[in-house]
Amino acid sequence: MLTLDLLINGLIIGVFYALMAIGLSLIFGILKVVNFAHGEFYMVGAYAYTLSALMLGVSPWLALPLAFVVGLVVGVVVERLLMRPLYSGYTSWGSIRDEYAVIVTFALSIFLINVVDKVVGPFAYRGPPLVDVSRIAIGPILISGHRLIAAVVAIAVIVVVALAIRYSYWGRQIQAVSQNRLGASLAGIDTAKASAIVFALAGGLAAVSGALLANIFNPTPDVGVFPAIKSYVIVVLGGMGSVPGSIVASLVLGVLESFGGVYISYQYRDTFGLLILILFLLFRPQGLFGEKAREV
Amino acid sequence: MASRLHLLACAAGLLAFMNAAFAADPIKIGVTIAQSPPGSVSQGTQVKDGVEVAAKIINDGGGVLGRKIELVYEDTQGIPEKARAAVEKLITRDQVVAIVGEHQSSAALAGIEVAHRYKVPYMNTNGWSDAIREKGYAEVFSPANYNSRVAIAVADTMKALGAKNVVAFCENTDYGVGLAKLIGVQMGERGKGISFKYETLDRAAKDYLPAILPLKANPPDVIIEIMLPPGAYILLNQLNEQGVAPTKKTLIYDASGIADYPDFWQNVGDAAKDMLVFGLYHPRMPLPELGKKVADAYVERTKSAPNRLLFQAADSVFLVAEAVKAAQSTKSDAMIKALEDVKWTGTRGQVTFSKEKSGFKHHQWLDIPYVTFQVTEVKQPVDDMKLVQQPDAALDAAQVERPK
Repeated sequence: MLTLDLLINGLIIGVFYALMAIGLSLIFGILKVVNFAHGEFYMVGAYAYTLSALMLGVSPWLALPLAFVVGLVVGVVVERLLMRPLYSGYTSWGSIRDEYAVIVTFALSIFLINVVDKVVGPFAYRGPPLVDVSRIAIGPILISGHRLIAAVVAIAVIVVVALAIRYSYWGRQIQAVSQNRLGASLAGIDTAKASAIVFALAGGLAAVSGALLANIFNPTPDVGVFPAIKSYVIVVLGGMGSVPGSIVASLVLGVLESFGGVYISYQYRDTFGLLILILFLLFRPQGLFGEKAREV
Repeated sequence: MASRLHLLACAAGLLAFMNAAFAADPIKIGVTIAQSPPGSVSQGTQVKDGVEVAAKIINDGGGVLGRKIELVYEDTQGIPEKARAAVEKLITRDQVVAIVGEHQSSAALAGIEVAHRYKVPYMNTNGWSDAIREKGYAEVFSPANYNSRVAIAVADTMKALGAKNVVAFCENTDYGVGLAKLIGVQMGERGKGISFKYETLDRAAKDYLPAILPLKANPPDVIIEIMLPPGAYILLNQLNEQGVAPTKKTLIYDASGIADYPDFWQNVGDAAKDMLVFGLYHPRMPLPELGKKVADAYVERTKSAPNRLLFQAADSVFLVAEAVKAAQSTKSDAMIKALEDVKWTGTRGQVTFSKEKSGFKHHQWLDIPYVTFQVTEVKQPVDDMKLVQQPDAALDAAQVERPK
């Protein structure tokens, strides 16, 4: 029974990791930069959900899409104000674009944490549950009602996003820009718009992830730091820019941490992912689903 | 007429003297607290209120040696490196006469190194780790609770409850791991026959289920929680979510005293019902006059119920003031000497510092009063929580309610 417990817990945590990591992976795929403020999109979503429900009395089921919209808006604003110089007209920045992206997203991360710390306050707030059922028994397994429903919502969101990216008009344009930005541009695709959509989507997905976990992980201003680190590991393991890779890597990491925490050592639980990351970087640097060469 | 003029002259002279006194440089006391995460901001806020209440009482009473007390704050975020830098800045740039306020052991352990280097008195407000005392630094005084005392209290409580199998979850800090180890030692000495083990949890991590799930097959009699918020809140919720505790079989014992934090109930809900709490303050504990005065001032100021950190923080400032008064000086060596000989009734009782030069007793107020109380209702104010152990008495196990 413990094995089943650990497997289910690992998969559920993996689903939340995936929701967070997909956005980061998309951003890397399309811009080839790492967004160090991704954890703060998660934090913004957690607070948007919690505070709108607790202080404005909004139903949790309405607070959830509201958190998505807030994350989306933050993503759009960040892309427009901070990321656009990377690819629109600043050609002379070519050699320092990576440094720019690292510095600007890192600074944004610190800025957002401090803004929330000063405006909302440093205390923890527990988000309301999506359902009032404290525990649900599935055979011998007990799961909190909120955790189960949140996982189902997360899976639904992941499926919708994956299908949209694969089959929708804009999804295919995002894929094209991700594969070859110059080529897509020459084919008439508005790459700036595709980048804006990706940033907005990444912000929204991270925010939903934060909102879904607000009842479990009691948000504080620095709540996004830890999931962001996990996301970086996942994106590399899955193959940078690969959405299916991120999903598989998330589930693998979730299950690995769950079992390793019991059968190896709980204290070293967070090192398992890093250990695998090192092994991948040594022996399969392109990750599970990544490509060996991306530039034409 | 002459006598009236004489009186007026005297009054004018007195006023001039008082003005001159208050115009003199204030006595600066450095306060290191966590005002932003990842440190415990709940604690930092309570300590800030406590030191401000004490400073106001002192200043309203005419100050010390005719000089006002001025508090200078530095945010440590509960991070040792920041605590070290904060103490360095307070001593070298702000020229404070003493450091007070630290409420997290890891930060205190870093801060005392700097205070020791500059030989400036350091009043350990709430660092429980025995390691702070074991350094044996002449500058460090602890009116704060200490891990050895909690460990003894926990072992005695487990014995009184008739527990056979006890598990502790501690945070990965000097305080958490230090206390868990000491409880293990005390269980061996005072709780013979009790099986005890502990698991270390990362404060920054949020998913504790892999540590909790193995307990479902063989739940212990008591789970001891040795964590600060928000980790402590998350642990309580996840224990409850999995049906591990609180249950008829398994009680939760909070060794960190988190039940009086302002954000406690918003974060735990029904997960804390029936929890036993190690308490350094309960409204039904007898308080000296100064304690009542501090409590009243705090209630007037914040409209909130008093808490343990309020008294500990206030005592820290009062003790520095007492040292200056007794030494008639703000010189460090004179203040340290005065503190070693202090016998003063503070907010919680008569404070004297142990003269033992080694171990956890070094410069420690040994007889800090404590109680045990039980949360019997959800959203219960501390005033209504059930006292199951009075100060200086054994725990009354018959009073402890079991979850239904």
